[in-house]
Amino acid sequence: MKRRKFLKATGAVAAGSLSLPYILPSGRLFAATGSQMAEYVVYVLFAGGVRQQESVLQRYLDDSQGVPFTGNIMYNMLEGQAPAAKIVYGTGTGGQTPIPMLLNETLQKQGTLFKEVNALSAGHYGGLNNLVQGSRATTQGLKQKPVNPTIFEYARRHGGYKATKVWFLGNGIGNSTPLLNYGIHPDYGANYGANFFAPTVTFNDKLGGKYLSNAKVYHPQDELDPMYQMKFFLDNSFENFGKGLETIGNTDEEKNEIKDFMRQMYQKGNGFVKPPVTDNSDAINIGYTCEILSYFKPNLTVVNLTNVDGCHSNFTGYLRSLHRADHAVGFLWDHIQSIPEMAGKTVLIATPECGRNLLPNAIKDQENEFLAYDHSDQNTSRVFTLMVGPDGVVDKNRVVGSETMPIGMTTDNVITIGEILGFKNDIVSAGYVDSDSRSLFDRM
Amino acid sequence: MNMRTLINILLLVVLSFSFESCKREEEKGDPQYLVNPVTSLPPNAGKLKLKTNQQYVAILHANLFQVALSANQIFEISQCIESVGDKEIAREVIISNFMNEPGVIMPSAAEMRADIRTFIIDTYQRFLVRNPTEAEIEYFKNYISANPNVTPELVYFSFSLANEYLYY
Repeated sequence: MKRRKFLKATGAVAAGSLSLPYILPSGRLFAATGSQMAEYVVYVLFAGGVRQQESVLQRYLDDSQGVPFTGNIMYNMLEGQAPAAKIVYGTGTGGQTPIPMLLNETLQKQGTLFKEVNALSAGHYGGLNNLVQGSRATTQGLKQKPVNPTIFEYARRHGGYKATKVWFLGNGIGNSTPLLNYGIHPDYGANYGANFFAPTVTFNDKLGGKYLSNAKVYHPQDELDPMYQMKFFLDNSFENFGKGLETIGNTDEEKNEIKDFMRQMYQKGNGFVKPPVTDNSDAINIGYTCEILSYFKPNLTVVNLTNVDGCHSNFTGYLRSLHRADHAVGFLWDHIQSIPEMAGKTVLIATPECGRNLLPNAIKDQENEFLAYDHSDQNTSRVFTLMVGPDGVVDKNRVVGSETMPIGMTTDNVITIGEILGFKNDIVSAGYVDSDSRSLFDRM
Repeated sequence: MNMRTLINILLLVVLSFSFESCKREEEKGDPQYLVNPVTSLPPNAGKLKLKTNQQYVAILHANLFQVALSANQIFEISQCIESVGDKEIAREVIISNFMNEPGVIMPSAAEMRADIRTFIIDTYQRFLVRNPTEAEIEYFKNYISANPNVTPELVYFSFSLANEYLYY
């Protein structure tokens, strides 16, 4: 073959291969349209209803109980001095011993803090739906799966991630939490859903430990293959009549990985990776989230926390939960940096789903007679977003917005994650996110 | 119009009547045999309702052990199912936990292979609450005969995991 002819032929082949669509595991023909800012996102639904006063504003007891003690009880996440006196949020008798700071540098200093963000819902489930759907979802009912596509479905459909690369870790199975892993929109749905565990149930000694931990191990080829073949035959004769079930779409290999992960967790028992202080379910949930990150290295992991919701009737408990949630998130960030594949390639975003009231209800806790707070007034719409990530992706030590100039909405996070993982345009053009929402990178 | 053209037209008219007479019987309407029309459906077509997690677990345990679970156990196991996103994995793990417990009532492999037809009919009746079709019996007879690794346990496992088993 002559040199010119050879060059022509190879050029044509190269051009053809570039223009041919690449079929992703999701069935998507083309890869995400945008460029990726980071490979991994860990999204913390810093939930349960967090008052700005005790978090970002660092007023401790000053704005809630009428006693002049201020200070920062979230010193892994936020810059600021801890309270000097009247310590009730720590460990030991009366919570007098604060949990030592885990990180060398606060997440605020390592990232960007949106100090005053608008939460669009005053309720937990509505707020969580805002955070995962990126829409107001005014028609969203309780005990109903998300009406619009979730960030999980966007990630799997437009990002092309397989099922075990997208996880949702819920703190329990109450408050419809397990429903959030995919929505009911006909263009998305279960096939693009996230894998889900509620570790406080799945790996609880009295529940999952009792009923799921003694699974018989079958030989994959000699035993499981024929079993699946017989099941396939049975399903085939049944599915002919349109009764196929919704599935997340884990492949057989992925299913085996998940079962193997479960086996490992049951074998570890209480020896799973967890924050130094693990005396509530948020900390346990974060511990198992770390295990999921180590095992699956998911590109998108969403974890929700709920313990601060005890504030409805126990303000002392609320302070302790907030302090522990900060401790757990600090541990989570530290753990991410210990995973070689994820270190320096992960963006962590944390936002409460709603705030809490300005004025207390009538309930006083027994321990300190502190007044409790519900969530239904204007103060409930005040939350924050903290974002931390690799150099060049997330600005360091930057504060955006203030008490007098709110910037950002809770629904912004879905588009922001889309921008980080490279499918922002797909999310926006799908048309289901709130029309006022924007990527937080566009709000800076 | 000459005689020849007239004959041609008449011939065409006669032929058009003869086409009509060649139409298939169905196009003229269903034949009537003076019996009520019956829609033929497969035996599993009536299963339209999805079992709840609690119903699934209760029925599964009764099918395998022929002993009922307590209400508390049913509630706890259904919570476990709810805590796992991929329900098929959750069900698979629960079945394999049950299979690891003593007391599952099932025939031995030798008994199964001695009379596969009866085993299949019994299994369909036990798990799917219906009789198998001849095609289903034939499939399982051939499959079990051709695969020496297939045990009653694996057959029970596949029936417990089948989509039809999730409906009633």
